[in-house]
Amino acid sequence: MSEKSRSDKKGFKRRDFLKIAGVASVAAAGTGVILPKEKIFASSKRGKKGHLSNEVKPGELDAYYGFWSGGHSGEVRIIGVPSMREIKRIPVFNMDVATGWGITNESRKLLKGKYTGDTHHVHGSYKNGTYDGRYLFVNDKLNNRVARIRTDYMEVDAIVEIPNAQGTHGLFPQRYPKTEWVVANSEFQVPVPNDESNAGAFNKPKEYYGLHTIIDAERMSIVCQVMVDENMDLAATDYKGKYSMTTSYNTEKGVTISEMLAADYDYMLIFHWGRIREALRKGKYKWISGVKVIDGRKGHSDIVLRIPVPKNPHGVNISPDGKYAICSGKVSPTCTVVDLDLVDKAFEGKIKPEDCIVAQPEIGLGPLHTTFDGRGNAYTSVFIDSTNVKWNIQKAIEAEKKGPEEKKKKEYIIDVLDIHYQVGHIMASMAETKEADGKWLVSLNKFSKDRFLNAGPYKVENDQLVDISGKKLRLVHDSPAYAEPHDCIIVRRDIIEPRVKDRYNMFEHPLAVVKSGVERKGRNVTIRMTSNAPVYGLQEVTLKKGDRVTLIVTNHDEISDLSHGVAISNYNINFVIAPFQTKSVTFTADKPGVFWVYCTNFCHALHLEMRMRIIVEP
Amino acid sequence: MKKLSFFLVLLLSITSLVYAQWEFFEHRYKYKLSDVLKADRFIKKDLYWEGYRNGKVVGYVFLSKELTNDLVGYSGKHMETLIGMDTEGRITGVKVIYHSEPIVLIGLKEDNYKRFIKQYPGKSIKSPLKLGKDISMDAITGATVTAMVQNAIIAGSARKVASKVGILQARVAKKKRKLSTRYVRMTWEELLREGAVKNLRVSYRDLGLKGSEVYLDLYFGLVVPPSIGRNILGQRAYRDIMGRLKEGESAIFVFGRGKGSFKGSGYARGGIFDRFNIEQNNKVFVFRDKDYRIITGIAANGAPDIKEGGVFIVRGKEFDPTMPFKFTLTLPYRVGAKKIFKSFTVEYRLPERFLEE
Repeated sequence: MSEKSRSDKKGFKRRDFLKIAGVASVAAAGTGVILPKEKIFASSKRGKKGHLSNEVKPGELDAYYGFWSGGHSGEVRIIGVPSMREIKRIPVFNMDVATGWGITNESRKLLKGKYTGDTHHVHGSYKNGTYDGRYLFVNDKLNNRVARIRTDYMEVDAIVEIPNAQGTHGLFPQRYPKTEWVVANSEFQVPVPNDESNAGAFNKPKEYYGLHTIIDAERMSIVCQVMVDENMDLAATDYKGKYSMTTSYNTEKGVTISEMLAADYDYMLIFHWGRIREALRKGKYKWISGVKVIDGRKGHSDIVLRIPVPKNPHGVNISPDGKYAICSGKVSPTCTVVDLDLVDKAFEGKIKPEDCIVAQPEIGLGPLHTTFDGRGNAYTSVFIDSTNVKWNIQKAIEAEKKGPEEKKKKEYIIDVLDIHYQVGHIMASMAETKEADGKWLVSLNKFSKDRFLNAGPYKVENDQLVDISGKKLRLVHDSPAYAEPHDCIIVRRDIIEPRVKDRYNMFEHPLAVVKSGVERKGRNVTIRMTSNAPVYGLQEVTLKKGDRVTLIVTNHDEISDLSHGVAISNYNINFVIAPFQTKSVTFTADKPGVFWVYCTNFCHALHLEMRMRIIVEP
Repeated sequence: MKKLSFFLVLLLSITSLVYAQWEFFEHRYKYKLSDVLKADRFIKKDLYWEGYRNGKVVGYVFLSKELTNDLVGYSGKHMETLIGMDTEGRITGVKVIYHSEPIVLIGLKEDNYKRFIKQYPGKSIKSPLKLGKDISMDAITGATVTAMVQNAIIAGSARKVASKVGILQARVAKKKRKLSTRYVRMTWEELLREGAVKNLRVSYRDLGLKGSEVYLDLYFGLVVPPSIGRNILGQRAYRDIMGRLKEGESAIFVFGRGKGSFKGSGYARGGIFDRFNIEQNNKVFVFRDKDYRIITGIAANGAPDIKEGGVFIVRGKEFDPTMPFKFTLTLPYRVGAKKIFKSFTVEYRLPERFLEE
């Protein structure tokens, strides 16, 4: 049944029902966003193709979880789609003084003293080509790390450091049969290893390398790295669990802009996972900086296929049917369509790498990234033109076959939408899965200029929501985004929602406190404290100046949403504990005096009275 | 005859430092059994005392802790209540002997609580004892969770004893029936017509308010039979909910349309839904936020849009979905500045076709 006829039928049924029930009119009831997939669309009465409404009325919920990277804020954000309401920020590589991320012992153990980060790509864990809803993975381009977020608590549970690499940019999880590996690319070529043992290479850019790092998704440890001459930015994996791929814009090994732009052709690189496994099995790697490094350089290995694409390409995205990898041209106005069914032949040497290219349609000036609607259409973000371009993949391939005259007609282009202003990433709902549903698209624009109230010279980004359910693209909503999301994924609500918890499993934390008390061992003092609105388990603790203090607090309130703060006046400490959560901090009681510990996170009618004293004796 | 009086020493078993801080809210009272039943002799039975006057049984006294201890108030703790009932099922006296309900937070005093309790003596447990109907909430307006749970404690404890001593007819233990596991696709209209979904419609007029419209249009029913739950929630949500049920547990769905709300906002702070409960075989079940999943739409074909909805898990094994139960809605609303409560009860009986033969 088509979407249109279903919604018509529903409208009819609804009137029927009212007639039967004998109610003339009931005060306006909302347009419910409905859990089952087949109903999400039909539930919107205005929801005819091309006329989706982004209105989510009070009490209703969004149909999609949007997971946004936070750029150099170092965080990940949860945005409700289509309302575009920011629901939560998940601190990842940054310090978050609101929740205590970077302040508590638990988070400091993961962050190891680094509180800056640059998150570009957040992707979910997969099973059989679609999200399984278990984890999110996100890169840190700045300090070369990859973090994992567990979705039940929506918090980071593991961070792995990527040695040897710099500019850890593109990241993508294995899509099939399930996410066992996550790949991450290094955009900046550097000496390998990049330390004093290799100082001779510091000023020899020809001895700089890029690394394609493979991470074990469960253990969050490095499986291996494939070292190549090229730099690599965006990453993708196929839908058969055979390859990972990337683009390189600096095959020249340049260290200045002009050097990086020198060659007319750069590469799309494809990594052959079977051959990587074989190399690991046969011990064809070197241990460098504690990880296995496989030589993937041209002429040294058959692991990497290099498909020439016009100069300085950018994004690489796989169509939801798994057939094509689409490489967006950036400096070239084209997209390169690679037929993934031909890749094995190219690896076997039966065809040339460039023979895998089945189309190179002209899209516009500055194509950066491509997303999909699951109906055979691609949507490419075009930076310089400041547009989103909808084009048909099959028509582009046919035009390519027919020749240059046919290509010139550009009949593969279906619609072009002006956006405001200058788009970077572009992402449609469920588009990075085989379940792409072609409803919403977000255009993550890098400039907002005059789209919001002027809030000073440093302006926010503008994420524009676009309805792609019809033939034409329809701009629906502008939403400001503070520095600086790069990419996002838009995941159906029913995949994530059942996994998310309202309270912690208390004893998952080995130090969970069930009975409050103070324990002293010489100068080391452990304060164990429970919290129940509106009281802490202790009313005062007396310390001696110079004591090394560890404060462990467990929230014993079971009611959902009843979180407590624990702030120690003048000691620069604050953190929040959600229901049944435990956190700890360690500090030196170096200032004598009376210091009120108080609840910072509103909890109760007597929230202000929820406090206790720490007395530090001189 | 020598008058026997039982002075029972209170037990304070709260050792945890956490709860020590709750002392401010704690109220514990001494009591004797004759506080709630005029009798000269009490004989301890299993869950109650028989009260004798001049050698004749005149009634029963019981402690709620032994009967309905799982009912907890805003404080998360049971309000221990001593209850007396005559042989006809009339309440002869009620005394709250321990509670830590923080009613002081909403400007109420212990006297308010006591005034609320004073309404019970003289009332028969054969009457519904509904809040806002048989029992006024005026004395503790605002403490809706406390009132609802306290009422459930008194009514539930009394009815349990009443059915033990034969004042109320105890349910005849029939052979337990089973829910049908068959799934048949059914529309909203069919589910309503069959009685799988029950409708409670409260109009402005029902509340004595101006307006010709429906104030609250409420639908509820049992989740577990697949032909109901899967049709109502859709396959994904149904599977999710069923995965959350322990063996022998049930769940109900409740949907609301219109201006009124069955959820209210009391559950945000207290974690307890204070506007509705269900009752079966003299046992009242209240719902907590941890047993609730939000539902924002009905999947069944032809269903109306809703304003709010949820699935509520009936914890424990005492509830029998194959047997009838009552759904009671206690709706607060305002007339001018005055807050009024009104109760509505609807019986739900699972239609034969959702049961195994």
